Amino acid sequence: MLEVKKLSAGYGNIQILWDVSLKVNEGEIVALIGGNGAGKSTLVRTITGLLPANSGTVEFLGKSIDGLEPHKIAELGISHIPEGRKIFTDMSVMENLEMGAYPKNAWKNKKNTLKKVYEMFPRLKEREKQLARTFSGGEQQMLAMGRGLMSQPKLCIIDEPSNGLAPMVVMEVFEIIQSMRKQGITILLIEQNVKQTLEISDRAYVLENGRIVMEGDCATCLASEHIKKAYLGL
Amino acid sequence: MDLFLNIFIGGLLIGGIYSLVSMGLSLQYGVGKVYNIAHGEFLMFGAFITYWLQSMGVNPLVAVVINAPLMFIVGFILYRTVFTGIRVRSPNPGVFESNGMLAAFGLYFIVQNIAVLIWGSTPYSYQYLNTSVALGPSDFHLNRIIAAVFAIAIGVIFYIFLASTRSGKAIRAAAQDTATAGLMGVDINFVLAMCFGFGAAMAGIAGTLISVCYPIQTTMGLGYTVIATVVITLGGLGSIPGSFIGGFIIGIITTGVAYWEPGLAVAAYYIIFIILLLVRPKGIMGR
Ligand SMILES: Nc1ncnc2c1ncn2[C@@H]1O[C@H](COP(=O)(O)OP(=O)(O)O)[C@@H](O)[C@H]1O
Ligand SMILES: [Mg+2]
Repeated sequence: MLEVKKLSAGYGNIQILWDVSLKVNEGEIVALIGGNGAGKSTLVRTITGLLPANSGTVEFLGKSIDGLEPHKIAELGISHIPEGRKIFTDMSVMENLEMGAYPKNAWKNKKNTLKKVYEMFPRLKEREKQLARTFSGGEQQMLAMGRGLMSQPKLCIIDEPSNGLAPMVVMEVFEIIQSMRKQGITILLIEQNVKQTLEISDRAYVLENGRIVMEGDCATCLASEHIKKAYLGL
Repeated sequence: MDLFLNIFIGGLLIGGIYSLVSMGLSLQYGVGKVYNIAHGEFLMFGAFITYWLQSMGVNPLVAVVINAPLMFIVGFILYRTVFTGIRVRSPNPGVFESNGMLAAFGLYFIVQNIAVLIWGSTPYSYQYLNTSVALGPSDFHLNRIIAAVFAIAIGVIFYIFLASTRSGKAIRAAAQDTATAGLMGVDINFVLAMCFGFGAAMAGIAGTLISVCYPIQTTMGLGYTVIATVVITLGGLGSIPGSFIGGFIIGIITTGVAYWEPGLAVAAYYIIFIILLLVRPKGIMGR
């Protein structure tokens, strides 16, 4: 579904990503793990057109999406749920969700999609008129995920959804990600919560200093000495 | 007491025009991130187009129908070519803001030059509904009352557009977080150009309304750019309701100062501006 080939990118003259290649197949949850500053968000932002690539290509559904603007990539069916939630704090919960349905095709179906999203997140419905700024971190993450679903995406790229949340809420976030997959949405999950992430994912890539240093199915990764030492503290 | 009521009503009347000019600058600066020093030049052009049309027998208020779309198109194209060009070449938003402002400075001089060549720098005026009507304790010119009502109506219509349409919501989202709005599917280059165009159209409409009430001249623009800058600082950058309310507040304050000592009206803007930057840089509606 998504294929990244030898991608290099960075900010100005500072190169962050070095020949990164990865692949996400339809129906999978693929994990991308790595420490702070490894370049995970930079990779995601390059895929969804927020940053230009220096070299390499990105294909989605067999077609190159290189150089497309973010809104074009969103229209193709990639939903990027950004790091730090990035909800529109001065808009109501409902308006945030509507913004998620902004692409023309999604806008036509937004009533139905909204109903489904409210079924997944009943608390959003209860508080649909409230300004999003009144939400706690966990609620904001739920809103960001609900908003990300409003475009009826084929692929969701979720950047550190559990960051800064209480353990109970983290559990909830992971359950929602699994139920997204059950609805047929393919997922690329960026996380630092390595153990839980590897438990719900099919395959994983490990990014260190802007380079992929390991890839494979999650069972293999969980058994690897490097992962145990560097990420699981064992 | 009558004096206060007079200042209040007079302030509301001029405040309507200030609100309109300021909402325009707020769209250009708060959303489009271009501090458009040349904002008042759109206003001046709008005023002169209106003058020209009324001299051919067109009702000056009807001139808005030609004026506003024309200014929108000029503003839109200007953003699409010059400012989008600068934006994509800027390594970060800070560089874009400073280079955009410099380009707007250049635009200001270019427009000034052309306007002075065409119209010189003497005042022009015409008569339109210059009768007096009683409003509160004293009389006010009918044209000023109509101009204020017109400006308020435009402000309210624009607010409803922002609150309830798909494009209006895209503008609000882009005002808060441009990159994230792009991720939602909003064509950012298009929406920012649209905001710049709407800002120019508002300045153009304000120009029409000013020409209905006061003499106009080619150097009139910069003063309104200054007022709008104070108003959007007061109202909170990018907040349309803030600019709307702020316009009336500044209108009332300056009318009051002018009653007391007309020579201090301009100094009053700057005093308010500097105090605001020190005390509440985010404005009354900013967060
Ligand atoms: N806007 C930016 N400008 C310059 N450097 C940046 C910017 N954002 C991130 N970086 C740098 O890029 C590197 C990778 O950051 P990031 O992709 O956010 O890592 P991760 O998401 O893995 O924590 C870091 O060294 C960070 O300092
Ligand atoms: Mg990150």
